[in-house]
Amino acid sequence: MSPLLMALLGVLLVPLFVATWRTSLLGLSCQGLLMAWIAYRMAPEPSTASEWLTLADLVLVRGLGAPLALYAVLHAQRAPARNDVIPPNLLSWTFALGIVLVAFNFSAALVPEHGQQQILVAVAATGVMLGFLVLATQSGPFSQMIGALRIENAIALFELGGERHHEPLGVQLGQIAVVAMTITLYRWYLKTLTASSGAADEGTPDGATL
Amino acid sequence: MISVALVILPAVATLGLAARAVRSRATVLLVGVAMVASALAAAEAMAPPGGPLLGGLARVDATSQLFLAFINPIFLGVSVYVWNRVSMTPTLQTRMSRFVGLALLFLAAANAVLLANHLVILWIALEATTLAAAPLIVRPGVQASRQASFRYLLFSSVGLGMVLLGLLCLARGMEADGHAPTFFIDRLPELAAGGANRWGKLGLALTLLGLGTKLGLAPMYSWLPEVYDESPPAVTALLGAVQFNCALVMLFRVVQVYRPGNTALVTGELLTMGIISMVVSTVSIIATRNVKRLIAYGSINHAGVIAIGLGVGKAASYGLLLYVISNAFIKAILFLTAGKIQAHYRTKDTRRISGLIKDLPYSGVFLMVGTFALLGFPPFGSFVGELLILSALVSAGHMLVFAMFCVLITMTFVATGRTIFPMIWGEPREKHAWPRQTFLSSSPKIAFLIALVVLGIYIPPVVNGLVQQVAASLEGL
Repeated sequence: MSPLLMALLGVLLVPLFVATWRTSLLGLSCQGLLMAWIAYRMAPEPSTASEWLTLADLVLVRGLGAPLALYAVLHAQRAPARNDVIPPNLLSWTFALGIVLVAFNFSAALVPEHGQQQILVAVAATGVMLGFLVLATQSGPFSQMIGALRIENAIALFELGGERHHEPLGVQLGQIAVVAMTITLYRWYLKTLTASSGAADEGTPDGATL
Repeated sequence: MISVALVILPAVATLGLAARAVRSRATVLLVGVAMVASALAAAEAMAPPGGPLLGGLARVDATSQLFLAFINPIFLGVSVYVWNRVSMTPTLQTRMSRFVGLALLFLAAANAVLLANHLVILWIALEATTLAAAPLIVRPGVQASRQASFRYLLFSSVGLGMVLLGLLCLARGMEADGHAPTFFIDRLPELAAGGANRWGKLGLALTLLGLGTKLGLAPMYSWLPEVYDESPPAVTALLGAVQFNCALVMLFRVVQVYRPGNTALVTGELLTMGIISMVVSTVSIIATRNVKRLIAYGSINHAGVIAIGLGVGKAASYGLLLYVISNAFIKAILFLTAGKIQAHYRTKDTRRISGLIKDLPYSGVFLMVGTFALLGFPPFGSFVGELLILSALVSAGHMLVFAMFCVLITMTFVATGRTIFPMIWGEPREKHAWPRQTFLSSSPKIAFLIALVVLGIYIPPVVNGLVQQVAASLEGL
């Protein structure tokens, strides 16, 4: 599993340096699919509804649904290829790499035994902190969505590493529904915010409102 | 089963909007469902606490009874305001079925938050209130409101993401102690009693920080003024008076379970977030000239007071709960009044609004009384609440926090009064032919005002009993 986790770390880092929106979405997709692969390696013969739901969430919602939903909007709007998720300068890149070091040290403090658990926690911590870096340095809606979705994926990875909980199936379905609805709303915002960003307000601030 | 109906009824009523005949009377449906929900909530609050429901996923205890009893009537008040507003403004009629559908889903999710006996289900229901509320913030054709709505969703997702991460860390902490992880609230105290390991402490810190974000506490508070400013007044009232308390209930649940083994962490983090929130809100209240933002910064200030009261605990808990309930009514009154003022003067600039008591007598009185309650004047519950929190700070030896609290509350008083009082008692700048304010249009605010005053001078025994039970539970279940 360690090579998969290292690949996931690479997928987290590459879109920070290759600044196009397609790379960001591809990175997001790879995160979902790699996490699905990791989940499959943990339970190679999925037998319970919970295991199947986990795979469906990672492949269909996070690996395919989220990137494709955002891709369709940007493609339709013919968005310029370049899109920085962190400022393109040496300071930001150093900061991003510094975050990876901090995450690995943090993980070593929390999980003293060397092994896959330690690496998994380190990669998840990297994902969360890089997501916050993106959110802190970017103000555009697309970049901020990418930052938030990176954090959501990192939390899902961290959840994979925990003991298999015997939680009700409805709870897992509810969590997936929340992610799916959030992505649907992101798509709506990306469509409406980007489309009208250049236009002035059509209405007046003091118009009839509830 | 009354409690289950509080979730199912609004959710099922949403489906009724599929029928064209219902769509044309959407606001009537909204008021009808809110009335039934309020009656059911009142019945539930007066009944003895029941056992587990739906296989233990839901439970009615003193906390859920207390919050059901005032959140549902506030929703009813806002619904009546919306119904009246739509009756008076026919142009609003066209968009109402969408608004009503989302508002009913919001109510169903809010009631689910109050009844959940499972931390992840509570988290899902809180996310559902956010997902239902986000589109309501958007005013058609106003780009700034769309941006505010996006910021609201983004900050909520990140804040609640931190909460989920915190819960997962708490589960890891249980595993590390050799227990099977669970999120059932009634089973958690025995697992949490022995104190936390490193995972547990990290999880608790993240959960408190995430919920602080949802409550508008520093450091991640910047979404709140923009969202409260840009939302339609009815939606701002729902966010400030209903959703705020849903997030607060989740914070209460976490504190009820985890305070006994982690007193220093809970107290330290809540006091820090509370006092920083008070500092930033006070500075912003001094600087702002926007009436809605001023009330929004007042909300951050109140959230800071609540965090401090919750952090100190013990003797402060009773006062804290009085403060929380009063706060909900104050925000509902002030945001609905601010909407009325903005609609009449066509500005939010406090310097251009003057002579309210002559121009709009009802709104002038509501703004005046709401501001006095906001500032913690007697006879309102917020006065008793602040006094008990201050007393508990001294008893617990938090003298620095006490001193800062006193200074900041005085500065807030001066800055708010300097801005609001000329709006109320100043001379009208321009002569307008104002439409007459009807009693019906003001009835929700009058009802909120009566509740606010009653809470300050006489607390009904049923409510008092619930407040005492919840205050005791904040020291541990």
